[in-house]
Order: sequence, then structure tokens, then C-alpha cells
Amino acid sequence: MTVSLAFKTDLLGAIPSLRAFAVSLTQSADKADDLVQETLVKAWDKHESFQMGTNLKAWLFTILRNEFYSQMRKRGREVQDSDGIMTGRLAVHPAQQGQLDLKDFRSALEQLPEDQREAIILIGASGFSYEEAAEICGCAVGTIKSRVSRARVRLQDILKVSGEAEYGPDAISTQVMGSSVA
Amino acid sequence: MRDMNKNNTAGAGKADASGDPLGPNSEIGRKLKQYYDELVSDEVPDRFAQLLAQLEQADSVQNKG
Repeated sequence: MTVSLAFKTDLLGAIPSLRAFAVSLTQSADKADDLVQETLVKAWDKHESFQMGTNLKAWLFTILRNEFYSQMRKRGREVQDSDGIMTGRLAVHPAQQGQLDLKDFRSALEQLPEDQREAIILIGASGFSYEEAAEICGCAVGTIKSRVSRARVRLQDILKVSGEAEYGPDAISTQVMGSSVA
Repeated sequence: MRDMNKNNTAGAGKADASGDPLGPNSEIGRKLKQYYDELVSDEVPDRFAQLLAQLEQADSVQNKG
């Protein structure tokens, strides 16, 4: 069966998103591109199993994610378990005036266990619904919700920001500390 | 330790004005999108277009044979 032009076009169009998700998972640009390459080859080979009209992006993200975890297992790297990680182990300096540096954010994201990181990326950045994210990760919707919630709490903890930037206790304490210096 | 976690969870549970805890009014939500959008807008290397062309070529050879 020949791969249709539409499928190929959609595949090309999905590459930027696939690369972004791959970098989020691997935390390495080189590894990410290798992962995307594997994903495209796999997707091409099993294009017949994709049902036209359904969500191609979700289908591709599922392939990429499976590939990532199977590579990790092959390398003998233990998949991080979110319960085994200490909170705020490598806390970065508190954000100043509620302004968060992107570099700090990236390093905070790196500290999250994989399952939490992928969940918060899928929901908070890639634009997937909880149902779609659950399907991509092969778990229950409730599991995704709890991972996203734990990821958010941990990021807020590491970055010392509150859920509500303007009115949170951190914003107030920053102001107080700032005025005592002046 | 347990109590600290509880407090954090309570604080983080507060949604922003739009009701979405990762929405545009949340610092984490904004940074998350900024981080991701930067990755998405990164220029795609040629290797991927080349790869798809190769796969296509391999297909057409196979179909002829």
C-alpha cells in the first residue's frame, strides 16, 4: 500500500511538534532528533494502522513516546518513578518580582520525573485534552490529572512561585524584602 | 514534610481567573507555553524532509518490483 500524499504532508507538518515533545522528553536536541527520525520511520511503516480522520498528532506522539521508553529500557536506564524523587533537591534561586527566567524554568522542568514532565507538557503546552493525553500515555485520565497536578506543584516549589503570580505570598514577600533594602 | 506538601497542594489548587490552573494567568502555565513554543518554532533540519523522500522512494521501488 502506497503512502498517500496527504499522509506525507501531515507527517511533515507534525515534525515541529514532534521535535518539541521529543526535546521535552529527552532533554537533549540530538537525542530528540534521532527519536523523531525513528518515529517517522515507524509511522511510515505502519501508516495503514492509522485511521484517516482521527488525530494524527496524537497517534504520532504515541509512537514517539513508546519509542522513547523502549530505548530507555534498552539502555538499561531505569524509568524514573515520581514517588522516589526528593522535592526541591536542586532548588534554583527564587524568581525576582514574579519574573521567571526561561533558563530556570527549563532546569526546573528537567528535575521532574518523566511521567510528570510528559503529562504537564501534553496538557499545558501541546494542547491535548486529558482524554487524549491518557491515550498517548496508555493510562487513566485520573492518572494524567494527578501527574499534571503534582508536576505543577513541584515546579512551583522548585521555582518558588505561587499559583497566582500577582497575589501569591511570594509576590508579597519579594516586595517586603525589596523595601527593607531600600 | 507531609504538611508542607499539603500546603503546596492547597495553594496550587487555586485556579486562575479562567479556571485553568495552567492558563495564561498562571506563571507556570505561561512559562510552559513559552518553553514549548520556542521549541516548536525551532527550524526543522533538512534531514527529515530527506528521510521522507527516501521512504517514498523505497516504497515506489518496492511497488514496481
